[in-house]
Amino acid sequence: MTHTLHRRGDRENLSGDYIVFTMSAKGFNEEGSAEKMKEFLKILLKYHPVNFGDMITGNCYVKSAEEIWHNINTTSIIHAVFTDEVTVSKILQELRARDLGLSVVVTGIHETTEECCQEAGLQKHTVEHSMGIFGDLNRLPEEAVLQLSTMCGHAMVPANLVLRMVREIKKEKKSFQDAALELTKPCHCGIYNPARAEKLLRQLVPLMTYDS
Amino acid sequence: MKIDAEKCVGCGKCASYCTMRGSIMSFGRNPKNPAKIYALIDEKECVECCVCLRSGVCQQEALYQPELSWPRIVRKNFSDPLKIHPETRIPGRGTEEMKTNEVTGRFKRGFYGAALEMGRPGVGAWFRDVEKAAMALASLGVAFEENNPVTKLMTDRKTGQINPEVLEEKVLSAIIEFLIPQEKLSTLLEALKKIAKKIDTVFSGDIISRVEKDGSISYLKVFQEGSRFLSINGKSNVGLGRPKYRED
Repeated sequence: MTHTLHRRGDRENLSGDYIVFTMSAKGFNEEGSAEKMKEFLKILLKYHPVNFGDMITGNCYVKSAEEIWHNINTTSIIHAVFTDEVTVSKILQELRARDLGLSVVVTGIHETTEECCQEAGLQKHTVEHSMGIFGDLNRLPEEAVLQLSTMCGHAMVPANLVLRMVREIKKEKKSFQDAALELTKPCHCGIYNPARAEKLLRQLVPLMTYDS
Repeated sequence: MKIDAEKCVGCGKCASYCTMRGSIMSFGRNPKNPAKIYALIDEKECVECCVCLRSGVCQQEALYQPELSWPRIVRKNFSDPLKIHPETRIPGRGTEEMKTNEVTGRFKRGFYGAALEMGRPGVGAWFRDVEKAAMALASLGVAFEENNPVTKLMTDRKTGQINPEVLEEKVLSAIIEFLIPQEKLSTLLEALKKIAKKIDTVFSGDIISRVEKDGSISYLKVFQEGSRFLSINGKSNVGLGRPKYRED
């Protein structure tokens, strides 16, 4: 599962896009992991993420924080999304100090997350990069739409929904912020970044017509 | 997914929530009342992701999912991340891969992990195309990940052949995961170009490595020298899991 990988964008707009998440290693440290994941979420919430959630329950724009927290179990995957590297550094420092014993993954621009790790006194253990998209590329939507749709790695944010939001903004049926939140809801895990989505919509909407 | 023709008023709003870009939808006329139109889903193309149903967009509650049996259930297993795979015991279509590597030791120095996510982003893939890719990879001698839903569907892991019963099933995406020795990376990258020409869809490729003791990532050089695309962003396991896998 590479659900936080393959987020498309340029250095500028990806610089406001970081995800921190955890899960248990099945057969290794599963026992007692639910309580640790609850503590992990508590720590992350102190830093005011723009989105969070658990694959078991859903994201914070569809489910309440209490429900997400209450439902955490050993097969959960807890995520939270942040928009700046300073916050990510602080979170990693606190997670290192707390030493929950669960694996932690940070997704973002590699150079920046490397700096975050160094500031937290951590060394990256294993890394993953995207090698890009191959095959019949004519089947893909426009790059600007892909930047919005690929923030959900399970492809739960359809390209058509992005285009509908563009139309609704143009018709003044939705604000940029509301449209970004509408795109955030289908991404069950809570890894969609509504703050980045709003910025991308502000760039995209003026470039498209009703018929796009 | 199906639409109840009696309840549907043909507004078409559900098409916005179709991960197959709504191209699988059309409209029909009610035979009892030809003035009434309703939306239809092409069952052959629907991947059973359930995004339309979960969105709550249908005010008429016309969308419904009938019980799925083998082999169609494979569509839901791979397309709906809320479904927990019995093999991996985690939600979604993938595995723990590098996320817990400091504990599991799945990716060791000297090897790279790699994956082809067939159908991603948002195009979908037939298992006949997944098989083409898997067979091409098998010919390179890759080691398919044991605890992966696609590997579980293989009837022969040496050839990459997949259970013929599922070849005509379409999913939102399916991830082929494998290990290769570091020295075979260039061969793999050439093979990806050939696979890309054989399939009727897209795939997203990724590569995983244990960070070297000096903090370097050995595959970066291969991509730089070959002027190949490699994302500036990605995932990093920061090594906080316990107990730590002991490397020899």
